[in-house]
Amino acid sequence: MDFEPSDLIVGLLMAALGLIGLILASGAMDSEMYVFGLSLFGFACVFDFGLLRRHFDRLEANRHG
Amino acid sequence: MAEPLYNEAVVKKCIIAAVFWAVVAFLVGVWLATELAWPQFNLGLSFINFGRLRPVHTSAAIFAFGGSALLGTSFHVVQRTCRARLFGGDALADFVFWGYQFFIVMAALSYVMGFSQSQEYAEPEWHLDLWLTIVWVAYAVVFVGTLMKREEPHIYVANWFYLAFILTIAVLHIGNNLAVPISVFSAKSYSVASGVQNAMIQWWYGHNAVGFFLTAGFLGMMYYFIPKAANRPIYSYRLSVVHFWSLVFMYIWAGPHHLHWTALPDWTQTLGMVFSIMLWMPSWGGMINGLMTLSGAWDKLRTDPGLRFSVTAVGFYGMSTFEGPVMSIRDVNALSHYTDWTIGHVHSGALGWVAFISFGAIYYLVPVLWKRSGLYSHRLASWHYWIATLGIVFYITSMWVAGIMQGLMWRAYDAFGFLQYSFAESVLAVHPYYVIRMLGGLMFLTGALLMVYNLIQTVRSRSTEPVFALPGALAVAGE
Repeated sequence: MDFEPSDLIVGLLMAALGLIGLILASGAMDSEMYVFGLSLFGFACVFDFGLLRRHFDRLEANRHG
Repeated sequence: MAEPLYNEAVVKKCIIAAVFWAVVAFLVGVWLATELAWPQFNLGLSFINFGRLRPVHTSAAIFAFGGSALLGTSFHVVQRTCRARLFGGDALADFVFWGYQFFIVMAALSYVMGFSQSQEYAEPEWHLDLWLTIVWVAYAVVFVGTLMKREEPHIYVANWFYLAFILTIAVLHIGNNLAVPISVFSAKSYSVASGVQNAMIQWWYGHNAVGFFLTAGFLGMMYYFIPKAANRPIYSYRLSVVHFWSLVFMYIWAGPHHLHWTALPDWTQTLGMVFSIMLWMPSWGGMINGLMTLSGAWDKLRTDPGLRFSVTAVGFYGMSTFEGPVMSIRDVNALSHYTDWTIGHVHSGALGWVAFISFGAIYYLVPVLWKRSGLYSHRLASWHYWIATLGIVFYITSMWVAGIMQGLMWRAYDAFGFLQYSFAESVLAVHPYYVIRMLGGLMFLTGALLMVYNLIQTVRSRSTEPVFALPGALAVAGE
């Protein structure tokens, strides 16, 4: 597989931050921390899916170009 | 497939975000001005009352609009002047962009929900501060990494200003936000400093947010986009270097002028005042350098509305950096502090300098990034310019009058030594000026909406012929 190293590093960082978000939401003592934790998890998921999509877009472009 | 030399996708995203947040910031500002003129517009709803919405406006203007414009232009400038693609790959640059937008949305949401650490321009609570620190470190890695892998031997002066902005904001942000949360699962925290120490750290941060976020960063913009738009090299490169070092050395000491006549020791107040006055020198040196770059190209102001924004911005920069030191003089401050004069001063800088220099850069960049021959309509851009300029004039003159009147009313005594006016009387007296201020803001917002339409039409236009290629043998702005 043709990986960009930065995709992997940033992707893993975001996954870790997303998990921290879930943990924060799970024990939240106020609405702000609950909203932040869940939003961080959602943001991390969307960001990582974006990295995956771009990776496969790049592979496809290389195949055709 | 060969990768293009520059990562322009992230620059485009930043510019779109800057334009979006500009409209949000101006819209919320107009709404707040309406609330101040007619308090019934608070509508009895907690999440849109003035106290919660005010930091939404300031954060949207400074960090969302200004910050996105700085991210985008710094990524553009550092790539072009170093002839190098952004360091760290597209993923890291995207993380900086989206991570920053996530911070802005989360911060705005926390304000309207009633969460704040009650420090001006540093309202977000500890968890958001930590998130911003991660994003900012990534930003520094991208920027410094690109400088380090540059193909040009020289680091162009605009990059020095951007670098000072990035590094100093990191130090300020961490220093001012050292706080202990009551629990990792709670948004509530307490600052490690208290009393006057807390106030001093806050205004060391607050004034340098002005100095390094709203000044140094946008000076980086000035030193690249004015030479590019005018197609002239900087008037004096040596002066730009003197400007840089003197500005960064002096600005960092000026914070105590926000705490005149308080429990802060007198010598500290005097120190802040003296350094503020000394700031006239680098500020005006930079202004002269920006304006004189137009030597031999003043005719372009007739035909290039983007350049007109940039040059007017430099004029406002000179004006507000003259006014600021005047207001930092302790006896002047006795009159001006806590009045709307301060609000007028801030907006001559924010609207006249920060917004105008950004508009100039955006009008230049959009055709370049989207490979268009030029703007959709120069006439619309001209309308934007004049409506916005008139809006600023309405805004700052009304606030000068209101502020000086407030200051004079608060200090007036009658023959028996009693205060001549109650506070409520001063509130009533400024009402007409609050209405004028709201109208000025409305004009500024209207101009921004014209810009949005113009930019959308520029991107949608069919022209694909870029006209910004450099003429042979003429090197401007480090390229």
